[in-house]
Amino acid sequence: MSLVQIRGLKKHFDTVRAVDGVDLDIDEGEFLVILGPSGCGKTTLMRMIAGLEKPTAGAISIGGADVTALPPRMRGVSMVFQSYALYPHMNVFNNIAFPLRAQRREKKLDKRAIREKVVNTAGALEIDMLLDRRPRQLSGGQRQRVAIARAMVTQPAVLLLDEPLSNLDAKLRANARDELKDFQRSSNITAVFVTHDQIEAMGLGDRIVVMSEGKIQQIGSPQHIYDDPANEFVATFLGSPSMNMLSVDGHRMGFRPEHFLPKTLNDKPDNSRVFHYYVKRVEYLGSDRLIYGYIQGHDHALTLAKVPSNVRAALDVEGDYQFAVHNNDIKYFDKRTGLRIQPVKAH
Amino acid sequence: MGVLSWILTNFWALLVVALAGVVGSRIAWRVRKYGATREEFSYVLRRSPFYLVVLTFCFFAIAPFLIMFLHTFKTDGDLYRRPQPFVFRQEPTIEHLDALFNNTAYLDFIRNSIVVGVAVVIITLVLSLPAAYALARLTGRWGERAGILMFLVYLVPPTLLFIPMFRIVVLLGLKDSPMSLIVVYPSFTVPFSMWLLQGFFKAVPPELEEAALVDGYNRVGAFLRVVLPLSLPGIISTVVFTFTLTLHEFIYGLVFIANTSQRTLSVGVPTELILGDVYFWQPLLAAALIIAIPVGLAYNLFLDSLVQGFTMGAVKG
Repeated sequence: MSLVQIRGLKKHFDTVRAVDGVDLDIDEGEFLVILGPSGCGKTTLMRMIAGLEKPTAGAISIGGADVTALPPRMRGVSMVFQSYALYPHMNVFNNIAFPLRAQRREKKLDKRAIREKVVNTAGALEIDMLLDRRPRQLSGGQRQRVAIARAMVTQPAVLLLDEPLSNLDAKLRANARDELKDFQRSSNITAVFVTHDQIEAMGLGDRIVVMSEGKIQQIGSPQHIYDDPANEFVATFLGSPSMNMLSVDGHRMGFRPEHFLPKTLNDKPDNSRVFHYYVKRVEYLGSDRLIYGYIQGHDHALTLAKVPSNVRAALDVEGDYQFAVHNNDIKYFDKRTGLRIQPVKAH
Repeated sequence: MGVLSWILTNFWALLVVALAGVVGSRIAWRVRKYGATREEFSYVLRRSPFYLVVLTFCFFAIAPFLIMFLHTFKTDGDLYRRPQPFVFRQEPTIEHLDALFNNTAYLDFIRNSIVVGVAVVIITLVLSLPAAYALARLTGRWGERAGILMFLVYLVPPTLLFIPMFRIVVLLGLKDSPMSLIVVYPSFTVPFSMWLLQGFFKAVPPELEEAALVDGYNRVGAFLRVVLPLSLPGIISTVVFTFTLTLHEFIYGLVFIANTSQRTLSVGVPTELILGDVYFWQPLLAAALIIAIPVGLAYNLFLDSLVQGFTMGAVKG
């Protein structure tokens, strides 16, 4: 049985349906990422798991016990906030010891035990030399580690992380991502990570939950949701630049820019679809060239192609070219519902 | 008396000597540190006008208190002859100070004021801390309206309320007792403190409380362990402000208590030391000055957080 079970969860604020019927199982020890654009309800979903928000309807159980009506402190979860929410009036030691002191009675912790746990956790996160400092004397990366240490020190059943990397600068973020993943693996904790950044989601998640408008659009491994999107939203939300979408024969047809290559580079000409492509402009991005243009017959839809720079193809001039996509890389979606449908045979 | 009288009569000379001493020792310190160079000399010359201006302003700022202080020791003849605030033309005397402490109930007034002030501060905090917290976190329409409504209560002047309040005080059997003030003063200190505290509570990010909730505390625990320590400057300035409000309240104190020894400073001092159109200036000024000094020091100490409290309420209220 899964560690966390969410059934029919809803949260309505006045007329807004922030979370609108979510069913989700989270397995023990997995790193689950909830991904979606801002306002999709992902943070509300996490806050309901934490107990900071009361669901309008539905149930949450953790470790087999129904916790829907329980306050946060009785759920065995801990949380890393986007702003880290470190207590500014306490030093790092007291910040990390804070949740232990809250539980010192039921867990029978004395001063020595608390000190030991704090020092061990701080050591694991390499912040043991900062224990006497105040939060404002720490860098962004150090604050993030303190926040994680505070969340981990009680060995919670579930660790909730609300965009904890978004306050770090880009260089630090890649590093922090790597460390976070290592730490989760070695401690084998169940982590739920909310983000709007698909690179973070793809890099960290064992499984990714894609959300939009309060509903789960798809759940799956990073590769699965990228290669096999369940609907048009997932297809276009993931990937940068996003999937090209064209209306063809009453359906929506999509293919990713990196699969849209000059015909001369196509290795399976008999299993590919060829387009007349008018190249308008080429952006050189270092590792890739990003090509802006239009497919003949679809003049209103800007279509992008992403060609690796090491591929020598004469594309630098504005004009007409022949581009092709493998049939396997073309996805079809229902025009009305946006749901994925089986390939349409060419007539 | 000899020393005091000498100090007072030579007040100006002493002031000049003290200032010269301060300036001289400062210059001497600089010379010892940087040497008596030409640059040092021109630096002192360059900075002098600035300090001269500062000193002038300081003088204007403390002049009222200086005048109060000096007048306390003047004889009637010296005081009433022709206004000469800074010069003693007759020998200084402490007879007025003596009269203030021994012939009036000044010490009783001080004791009553402190008892009333401390009790009202405690009641105010007990009531307004949770109320302000609720208002700060009730972010919906009604929370804001309730806050404005409660502040409106503060704007109803005591001149309108003192008659009905008097009926209540009589009903409670508290007439002629400082207890009546302890009961009535919170009617204006609570709305005001609540408004002030609300601004401080709003400045505490809700995420910090939520973190405390997840970390294992209930609402009360989170409030006590996270919100209160973080708004401590605000609470201190609320205490100072509430105390001063009770200290200078006049009309309730005058109406509710007819018994001199039960009166507070703000009522007792003017009623005892002004008889008809006769003002006993020297003890009056002394009584005001003695109580103004600790209040002034407290304000000075918490000035920054007071200003912060007012502006925070203004921007976020």
